[in-house]
Amino acid sequence: MAQLISKGSGKSRETLNRDLRCKIVDMAVAGNNGHIPSAFSILDIVSHLYANVLKYDPRNPEWTERDFFILSKGHGCLALYVNLHRHGFITDEDVAQFCRKGGILGEHPDFNKVPGAEASSGSLGHGFSYAVGIALGHRIKGAKNRIFVLVGDGESHEGTVWEAAHVARNLELGQLCVVVDWNQSGMQLLPHDDLPAKWKAFGWHTLVIDGHDNGDLKMAFDSVRFASRGIPTVIIAKTVKGKGVPMLEGHGMWHHRIPNAEEYAKIMEALS
Amino acid sequence: MSQKQVRQQFADTMLAVGQEDPELVVMVGDISHGVLQPFAKACPGRYYNAGILEPTMMSMGAGLARAGLFPVIHTIAPFLIERAFEQIKLDFCYHRLHGNIVTVGSAFDYAYLGCTHHCYGDFALLKTLEGVQIAYPSTPIEFDTLFRQAYRNSAVTVYRVPGSQHGVEFIAKDIRFGKGIKVADGRDVTLIATGPQLKAALGARSLLAARSCDAEVLYIHTIRPLDEELILSSVSKTGHVVVIEEHMRSGGLGDDVLRVTRGLSSVKYASASIPDTFVRAYGSYEDHCEMLGLCPTGVAALVQSEFAR
Repeated sequence: MAQLISKGSGKSRETLNRDLRCKIVDMAVAGNNGHIPSAFSILDIVSHLYANVLKYDPRNPEWTERDFFILSKGHGCLALYVNLHRHGFITDEDVAQFCRKGGILGEHPDFNKVPGAEASSGSLGHGFSYAVGIALGHRIKGAKNRIFVLVGDGESHEGTVWEAAHVARNLELGQLCVVVDWNQSGMQLLPHDDLPAKWKAFGWHTLVIDGHDNGDLKMAFDSVRFASRGIPTVIIAKTVKGKGVPMLEGHGMWHHRIPNAEEYAKIMEALS
Repeated sequence: MSQKQVRQQFADTMLAVGQEDPELVVMVGDISHGVLQPFAKACPGRYYNAGILEPTMMSMGAGLARAGLFPVIHTIAPFLIERAFEQIKLDFCYHRLHGNIVTVGSAFDYAYLGCTHHCYGDFALLKTLEGVQIAYPSTPIEFDTLFRQAYRNSAVTVYRVPGSQHGVEFIAKDIRFGKGIKVADGRDVTLIATGPQLKAALGARSLLAARSCDAEVLYIHTIRPLDEELILSSVSKTGHVVVIEEHMRSGGLGDDVLRVTRGLSSVKYASASIPDTFVRAYGSYEDHCEMLGLCPTGVAALVQSEFAR
């Protein structure tokens, strides 16, 4: 049976996610590494999945009846780590050792090291196709597991994303749900980026939501049917890179920058 | 020589093993679709012609392995090994997942199609990857035997299926994954062949015998793990070695033999292989072999020019 442990339950979702954003910054500063704005972009989505959608057992990460969540845009992994920590997969010590010698948490997740991480992602354009294989494999076995995969809009420049979309639709992998973190990173380089039109053209059930709005997230995930054979669903989540801290928002120098002491104070003040 | 093509044996083995093992899944990239129809019919839901999208097909194979199945991924060598190399590296090897990759059209098997359809650097590429096994089964019984021995282990195993055969009928009990075969005894020079080039090695041995040069012939059907013990024992006896392979000089079996024998004193080495260039000519597979010296006269001439034998 799934164990849904929710550390800090009783707080509002907004408060919990604010606390997680603080923890992300603390981890990045302590480890002197990390993609803070990318993690902030997807945090509300990942938190919603772990709090309200996914079936899992942190004491048995390989539980055969679990749902799979594949973070294909691996550089956003701080959002995954803080949720794995909140829900009991990894320990305080694991978090303290982020990017340190001997630790299990790096700047991209390692499936062989991190309990609950379903893929070693980092090279963009792999996780979706891998998830298609997992979904197909479970259908072959007659299993009902649901498969979720989160890709970035910049990552969606990769041709393999569209290969996977093409195959998954043709195989009618209805138990597969893709979430696109549409924070407009991709549009910096290739501005003609009508993602909803593209996904619809590939024949997917396509939803467009505000990826920071709990009501939208609930509505979207509640609406997915997860039939073992049917049209797969993509949830295109409009997000803001660096969401929650104005100085981090957007596509500038903060992509892979670690705040100094003064900047850290400003970020924490903004989050408070 | 067996009349059956090794590719046909691949299809026959999938059918036989697939009926015994419900966890075997075959996915192809629009190649061998016809010969695999008996498997598709006998094993419904476990055969997929994914389309012409090799990188995604490779990642999907890793996902199938993650779901607890035993995938077989198949299409033409350059598109599977070279185009989808990062998917093999990361999605299979970095994840430490098991799987099977079966290629056709390696080296210059598709000679008429030109360099876009050649693949003679696959050993070199694959040897850089943790946990990859490489087999080169060049008769039907070799494919069937080696596949059954390895397909469910924890490694990624690549089977390089050639379009030609060497003509020697081994028996199943002599075919062991990771073990070479001594085909002929000799004392003056060791000829180490892999793939269909065993035929050239045996032909060269006859030509050399006429010159009173007694050649020992080793056959290597498993490139990785390599039977280093067999190679060492032969080369330490003869002191002269020629490696004959349809692979680029860099990174092929020859480089492995040099590494294995580096501790032996005064060993003389020569390579009958593909220069580190594109093979830009057209013509048949046999034309290419002759042009590159991958034939009895070419190997015998190499022994004479390099070793004065």
